[in-house]
Amino acid sequence: MKKKKLDKVLLLAGAFLLWSSMAMAQFKVSGTVTDDGGDPLIGVTVLAKGTAVGTFTDFNGKYTINLPGESAELEFTYVGYATYTAMVDRSTVTMDVVMDDAATQLDEVVVTGLATSVKRTNLANSVASISSAELSGTVVPTTTDAALYGKAKGTNISANSGAPGGGIRMNLRGITSINGSSQPLFIVDGVFIDNSSVAAGLNIVSQAAGGGSQSNQDNPSNRLADLDPNDIENIEILKGASAAAIYGSRASGGVVIITTKRGRAGQTKVDVSQSIGFTTILNPLGVRDWTEERVANSSRFAGDVDLYNEAVASGTLQNYEELLYGNTGLLSNTRLSISGGSDKTQFYLGASFKDEEGIVENTGYEKTNIRLNLDHEIADWLTIAASTNYINSSADRGFFNNDNSGTTMGVAYSATPAWAQLLPDEDGNYPANPYAASNFLETAARITNNESIDRFLGGATATASLYTTDYTSVQLILRGGLDHYVLNTTAIFPNSVQFQRDGNGLNGVSVQGNTLNTNTNLSAFLVWSQYLNSGVSFRTQVGVTNETFDRNTILAEASDLIGSQTNVDQAGNRNTNQTRLIQEDKGFFVQEEVNLNDKLVLTAGIRGDKSSNNGDPNQLYFYPKASAAINIHEFDVLPEALSQLKLRAAYGESGNFATFGSKYTSFAPFIVGGNSALAINNVRGNENVGPERQSELEFGVDLGFSNNRFLFDATYYIKSVDDLLLNADVPTSTGFIRQVTNAAALQNKGIEIGLNANVVQSADFNWFARLSWWKNNATVTRLDVPSFTTGGFADFLGQYRIKEGESPTQIIGVGDPEMADDDGLVVFGDAEPDFQMSWYNSINFSNFSFTFLWHWKNGGENINLSTLLFDLNETTHDYDDIDLDPDGALGNGDYRLSQLGVNTEPYIEDAGYLRLREVGLYYTIPRSAFNDVCSVTVGVSGTNLLNFFDYNSYDPEVSNFGAGGLSSSVEVLPFPSSKRYNFHVRASF
Amino acid sequence: MQLKNIKTYLLAMLFAAAGWTGCNIDEVPDPNNPSLAPILEDATVNELQALVFGVEQIARDEVGFYYDVTSIIGRDYWFFTSSDPRYTGELLGKDNAMLDNAGFYGTRPYSGRYRNVKQCNILIEAVTNSSADISDAERNGYYGFANTMKAYELLLVLNLQYQNGIRTDVADADNLGPFRSYDESLRDIADLLAEAYGQLGNAGDAFKFNLSGGFAGFDTPETFAQFTAAVQARVAIYQNSPTEALNHLDNSFLDLAGDLGTGPFRFYSTAGGEELNPVFRTPDQSEALVAHPDFVASLDPADARNAKIAERPSGALTFDGLTGTHDVVLWNSQSTPIPYITNEELVLIYAEANIGSDNTEAISALDVVRTGNGLASYGGADDDDAVTDEMLAQRRLSLFAQGHRWVDMRRYDRLDELTLDRPNDDVWIQLPRPVTENE
Repeated sequence: MKKKKLDKVLLLAGAFLLWSSMAMAQFKVSGTVTDDGGDPLIGVTVLAKGTAVGTFTDFNGKYTINLPGESAELEFTYVGYATYTAMVDRSTVTMDVVMDDAATQLDEVVVTGLATSVKRTNLANSVASISSAELSGTVVPTTTDAALYGKAKGTNISANSGAPGGGIRMNLRGITSINGSSQPLFIVDGVFIDNSSVAAGLNIVSQAAGGGSQSNQDNPSNRLADLDPNDIENIEILKGASAAAIYGSRASGGVVIITTKRGRAGQTKVDVSQSIGFTTILNPLGVRDWTEERVANSSRFAGDVDLYNEAVASGTLQNYEELLYGNTGLLSNTRLSISGGSDKTQFYLGASFKDEEGIVENTGYEKTNIRLNLDHEIADWLTIAASTNYINSSADRGFFNNDNSGTTMGVAYSATPAWAQLLPDEDGNYPANPYAASNFLETAARITNNESIDRFLGGATATASLYTTDYTSVQLILRGGLDHYVLNTTAIFPNSVQFQRDGNGLNGVSVQGNTLNTNTNLSAFLVWSQYLNSGVSFRTQVGVTNETFDRNTILAEASDLIGSQTNVDQAGNRNTNQTRLIQEDKGFFVQEEVNLNDKLVLTAGIRGDKSSNNGDPNQLYFYPKASAAINIHEFDVLPEALSQLKLRAAYGESGNFATFGSKYTSFAPFIVGGNSALAINNVRGNENVGPERQSELEFGVDLGFSNNRFLFDATYYIKSVDDLLLNADVPTSTGFIRQVTNAAALQNKGIEIGLNANVVQSADFNWFARLSWWKNNATVTRLDVPSFTTGGFADFLGQYRIKEGESPTQIIGVGDPEMADDDGLVVFGDAEPDFQMSWYNSINFSNFSFTFLWHWKNGGENINLSTLLFDLNETTHDYDDIDLDPDGALGNGDYRLSQLGVNTEPYIEDAGYLRLREVGLYYTIPRSAFNDVCSVTVGVSGTNLLNFFDYNSYDPEVSNFGAGGLSSSVEVLPFPSSKRYNFHVRASF
Repeated sequence: MQLKNIKTYLLAMLFAAAGWTGCNIDEVPDPNNPSLAPILEDATVNELQALVFGVEQIARDEVGFYYDVTSIIGRDYWFFTSSDPRYTGELLGKDNAMLDNAGFYGTRPYSGRYRNVKQCNILIEAVTNSSADISDAERNGYYGFANTMKAYELLLVLNLQYQNGIRTDVADADNLGPFRSYDESLRDIADLLAEAYGQLGNAGDAFKFNLSGGFAGFDTPETFAQFTAAVQARVAIYQNSPTEALNHLDNSFLDLAGDLGTGPFRFYSTAGGEELNPVFRTPDQSEALVAHPDFVASLDPADARNAKIAERPSGALTFDGLTGTHDVVLWNSQSTPIPYITNEELVLIYAEANIGSDNTEAISALDVVRTGNGLASYGGADDDDAVTDEMLAQRRLSLFAQGHRWVDMRRYDRLDELTLDRPNDDVWIQLPRPVTENE
């Protein structure tokens, strides 16, 4: 900010101070706040509406407040309880309050700004909010992102595979980038956390990036997986620029704000819980039903008739799907939390230990997570809140997905017929698989593909009330955050496995990766609230932010291993790679909110950002926002039954920085005959690269009936992204293949509808239901380069196509020339679902609670190349069924193969599903049964227990290429998804 | 500290913070790799040396796509892989399958070769702009090397693109030259080689730079020029100019009495940071380079060139309706070098260039190849057609799996003589122009 502007601010500030010092007469009110059981509530916020006057209840639930003027409206707010309002005047001396813990969603406070929050009733955006109970109250989620499925409108969450340790992509209101990331920004207690996926360097064995495709297919997990969902109090999802503009250039994918649990003054609470469960493959496909005739007629196995007959005779026909994916994985989750504190200092300590096995032998996930959150009041005007989190985890993820060496377990399995004999002998020696490059049972037993993490997340916020009068409050908020982790990836392929021994492969491979990541964020905000007598209030915020990102990955590849050594120096060949990513961003923002008696709430603001990733690191990019919410119910004009009617509109802009490195044209180093060489890279730098720009306009209406027992909301949005960064193909005769350019625009339009109902409310039976429905449609509105296909392997195997006027996620292929468009391609589908719907239910009757969540994704197609690989190997489970060939002559396998290269349609399939995502039944044994020492809850739960889909593979939720860019929904023999069953015991002291 | 002072302090910090956004963010240079711009502007001798090795690096990188595609279409061998159906589908024209102008088999060998053209152009520009202590003769040495390598890579691209023609002037990425017809492209390549040959003639006794062991014996301006002339001879027979070819052979390392395997090659090694031979595949696997049965049948049992293939111990392999009994073992390890051009090819060019003018000389050259590979001398007719047939047969056997069969049959308009293995297979004349090459 320029000095001149600051002067003006100071002058204005002086004028306000003068005005507000003309304070009036005061009166005093005091009282006690209790819950409906009569226990005092400690730390309840008591605020005189329309003023800056406020206090908290003390250790005994008591408060005293000095109020200006003749009368006031007191507002009592406490997390988890319904807000209580009471009119008081000079005649009131005591005001005791009983707060009701049946908080409806309307009363909650939503953290939307960098430094401030807004009551949901005054919010102009549709912000999804997910409570701790909904997030982790029913089942034991594998990861935090997996806990969000179907729980927020406007989100599209999809697992990349079923490998233990996670790997999930999340899009909010459609894709917002074609080559850049569409992933949202995750903020945990003010700390910007890293959610990247770092490849383990499996490509040296899988060769997946040969052939047509260059991208990473190592299937790494994303780092959000580290966070323990049980520590989370609340998640808020800002789905687009209209809500998230204040986060500027990092908000184009939306922002997910995670608030963790904090201690409360009062008696120390101790919670101990243990769950034990098991996991099995979600949808086993079965194997091809072989007969002697089928073996004889097969082109690959025709010479194997004798082998087949022998196996039948000796009863050694194997079901390799069961042998590979049939492990019943044990799940164990142990958790301890302690919270409490005094009126000055509160703490929350959470510790958990997770030990989960996968459905493939030797895969699994172990995680230890410790969190300590501290709040301390240094002085009555200065508080500090600190959050710390240490995570140690280890995931054994197996060896799956696409390859070009026939070695991944899935690809090798697909090539193996039932009469192959792959089981180890008595000494544990595995025979070579004559049908594939690897004996996948041996691979599962012998190889290592491990990701382990040591991570520390730390953040602190200091809030200083610099100036407080009855009508004015000026707060300074300083915040710092640090996300630091060391990720070790270990991939070991010993030289004893089939594809590394006897001159195959590289005679043993050990790839050890070490990633050191340090992100920091610092910010300072000044928040000035000013209340006028008329009930009008103003809130002004100014702030500055700074973020730095530094990631350093060193990948050491060793091959030609000496004996059974796995150290990277014990090898005939060694190779190291280092990749660094360094970025610094700076920004500022200014925001003004005007609240007219809660009737009309107006907000306007602007954010300015610059980044070292842009072509010009010191070019400021500006992102404005404005919104309005009208609470018609506050005007007292509505009929009794209509308890809420809010109309809202919001507009905002945000951006997405150019991806790191897009501006450089560089050389890559090599060794030629022992000499150092520099070879030009095939990516051409772009010195003019800038951020992608998003603007979003959102309208909505919120309705409440019968005292807000039934709530209805509907939102329509138009989200446009311009200057999209494209990895545009350049004529390769330039010597380059690609260049990142700002060369396209797209638009997402969508509708989100929600219905919350307290269907039954009675003393011992409560039923809460939430129905959500959402859809999104995207169109490419501008394309400065010719239309192109991307995201898959080849057009005839199905790819995405980016073409003006069409959906960016449409899937094309080759087909009937009469159906083909001017690109010579046929559109077979779109990865975007037609709509999604979820139905959450929570039913409480006496001491039982029963919760379930259904999730329906309608439509959306996948490119199913698993089936293709099975078909090519003539091992598909439905190879001999006849239900695809229009002539009814060919079996499905032969029919699909007959179409290969001619018609892509058989491999593009509907990936819609209906799923019972979560179901849980719990019984609480009351404290009285345990001499008031503790209460105990026991229960059972299940994840993905019921699944309905037509998709011809393990799970329609899949992505061979992980979470990056536009490449989801391509399947190549992934780690299959699983379902989970758990038994729970919890004691609360 | 007094609380009041803390307040003042905090306020001061905020103002400081506000001023701080005004501060500049430092430009972050590419932390991972050296950047192009400073090397183009003023390279040191060491950097030029690294660029020279870079030319050798790119020449050996991705070249597997070139050899696989030309050898598969030319029916030298098949590649059976369950990972990608296109090797036995589109490349062999199975059923209705057509070549895709975005398919890797067209785009990868194209972009891989042009990447080296770019590297050569960078080397030339960097040498021109360098203020290092390099004499004019030494500069000519760099130019002669770069232009030869550039012409060689352009010739490989042209072999794939054939009548589509190629761009021969690509120095300015923002302003690419036009597509030249096939004949014009060949002429441009010949001109470039002539320029290189001239530059090498004015390059003094030694290069200012070293070359890898792949160029052992070809690492001075004089000896490297013999390689340049050898490529000129190859271009001349493509241009159907036998006299030119014979002239260039005079300047080349042709040695009718010498080792047929002599020639510069691409260096491969399993050492760290080096490239592995991209065409090598472990024999007797289910994923295999399978010699075309027609090639196997054409080998006399006495022929030493039988060593280029090996019968599969596990028996015949069938994939996608194709069955073969022999693996290609021409490249028998991950560090087997791949020659740019060999004396054996020069002898065959010598034979070809003599057909029609001196068939006796042609036959005696063919006999060098025959006897060199353990066969008896040629005993057939000595008319032009018969000698041409024999020359093509020897080229097929001697240059097996090195991308010649397809080009030779095309040159002699005999693509229809290639064996089709399934009823609806096709032999392609050329690869489609890559989709990204819009004029």
